[in-house]
Amino acid sequence: MSAEQRKSGAFKFIFWTFLAVLLLFYAWHSYSSGQMINWYYWEAAADGYAVNANTFKEATKEKPVILEIGPHAEITGLQAVPVKKGERLPIGCNGIISKKELEEGKRVKLEDDRIVVMVPMQVKEAKGFKYKDTYKHKGIKTNPWSGAWNVAWVLALGVCLGYSAEGFTDLFGLKLKKIEHYGH
Amino acid sequence: MFDFAIAGVQSPFMLLVLTGFTVGIVGGFIGVGGGYMVTPALIVFGFPGYMASGIDMTHIAGKSVIATVRHRQMGNIDWVLGLAMVGGTMLGVELGVRLLNWAKKLGIAGILLLTCSVVVMLCLFIYTQIETQKAHKKIEKDAEAGITAGREVMVSGIPRFFQSIPLYPIVRCRTARLVISMWVIVLVGICTGTLAGFLGVGGGFVRVPALVYVIGATTHIAVGTDLLEIAVSGGYGAMRHTQMGNVDMIAVMFMIVGAMVGAQFGSIATSFVRGPAIRYILSYSLILATVGACLRLVYMLTGQKYEVLSFFAVVFTLGEMFFLCFFIVSLVVFAVRYRHGKSVPAWIPALVVKD
Repeated sequence: MSAEQRKSGAFKFIFWTFLAVLLLFYAWHSYSSGQMINWYYWEAAADGYAVNANTFKEATKEKPVILEIGPHAEITGLQAVPVKKGERLPIGCNGIISKKELEEGKRVKLEDDRIVVMVPMQVKEAKGFKYKDTYKHKGIKTNPWSGAWNVAWVLALGVCLGYSAEGFTDLFGLKLKKIEHYGH
Repeated sequence: MFDFAIAGVQSPFMLLVLTGFTVGIVGGFIGVGGGYMVTPALIVFGFPGYMASGIDMTHIAGKSVIATVRHRQMGNIDWVLGLAMVGGTMLGVELGVRLLNWAKKLGIAGILLLTCSVVVMLCLFIYTQIETQKAHKKIEKDAEAGITAGREVMVSGIPRFFQSIPLYPIVRCRTARLVISMWVIVLVGICTGTLAGFLGVGGGFVRVPALVYVIGATTHIAVGTDLLEIAVSGGYGAMRHTQMGNVDMIAVMFMIVGAMVGAQFGSIATSFVRGPAIRYILSYSLILATVGACLRLVYMLTGQKYEVLSFFAVVFTLGEMFFLCFFIVSLVVFAVRYRHGKSVPAWIPALVVKD
């Protein structure tokens, strides 16, 4: 392999690696700054109460946990914020206890201005495998643009990493030739 | 331990990198997304079922792009064939999803899905295994007669029938050296897409055999072209999953980092082998997945009484990833030894190429 080809391989590797690192840095920054989580828990998909499901995961029928209802801007503990379908979710919320579930009263029930949580987790099944089903992610809607944005990010990262790897092999003189599919 | 805030799971991130790596090797080599292996693995790591499907589908889209870039460099992609198939695949996926919703309404989705998986994979395994063994024997016979086999040897006569269907428009696929009715390509896309949509997977394990045995592409081109297809359909699936809140992007990021290395190895490994070697690995992956699905089916049919069945289904599915990786790595090691004139098992020369 000529020095010229190695040079172009080095350029290809540096350029695409730089772009890949930028994309990875963006994802990490988006995660650590809370923007990714903010986009995920965007708005309510059902009428009910916004809660932080992590705060009451220890609740049992014998030792239920009580959530105080109020119009909090941020959920920091055992609190529940009333929300309607389509409304933006408060910070710190990671799930909705729907009005329907409260009316059923099997896992949670409404008592005066408080929510009593008795069964925070149930075992369910998907594709033949059991998993823990909690109130986390329930009744929430992600930012409608996040789907397109995330896919664009994944595909762009795929292209960058793909070409970066190609540049890497070119740089070390391992430029792969086209396979001869036909003939002997 | 890494705290995946969106998924609400604490899990070692290296497990995700390792899973991405192993499935990357298998996917880059046989042209599948590997959803049937990754989803159970993620559930074992503690991710909820719906999250496991979403993360899997999104990582498959990224991984397929990485592998597609490499297969393009090696000339394994027929763009005309791939793009002609995309429309049919998307239509098929939509049909499959609707079929699944209909089954869900009837309350038979779980059992129907597993039964369908078992039947399809078992039939594909049997046909692929028989055909590949015949091709393997043909290469060995030719070698005894002093004839060196080419990169691809296939003994199936089915593609000739489909290529002779005179329905216009007829398309010319230059890389795959095929002249075939556009309708056959679209129909294959619809059928494989329907199965993929219904089973909730990328569909590579059905599409690669269909590209080889129905359309008549060489195995290498089928693998590369299928990965292009998976990148498109996987991208659409990933978008839908993200909108439904089934994706933790940080988990996807760790898996793609692992897949980057694995997909490179898997893709480059195809240049060391003949078509039948890829088909062997594909058929073994099919039978192993069939056994895993069978165990889950029996578990469900027995009223989920025997937890041991579910446990073995998980162990089997995870073991499959490592077994296939080991097989692919062994093939490459033997191919390199064969190139350097060192001793290799008797069955190796027919499956690998010398230069």
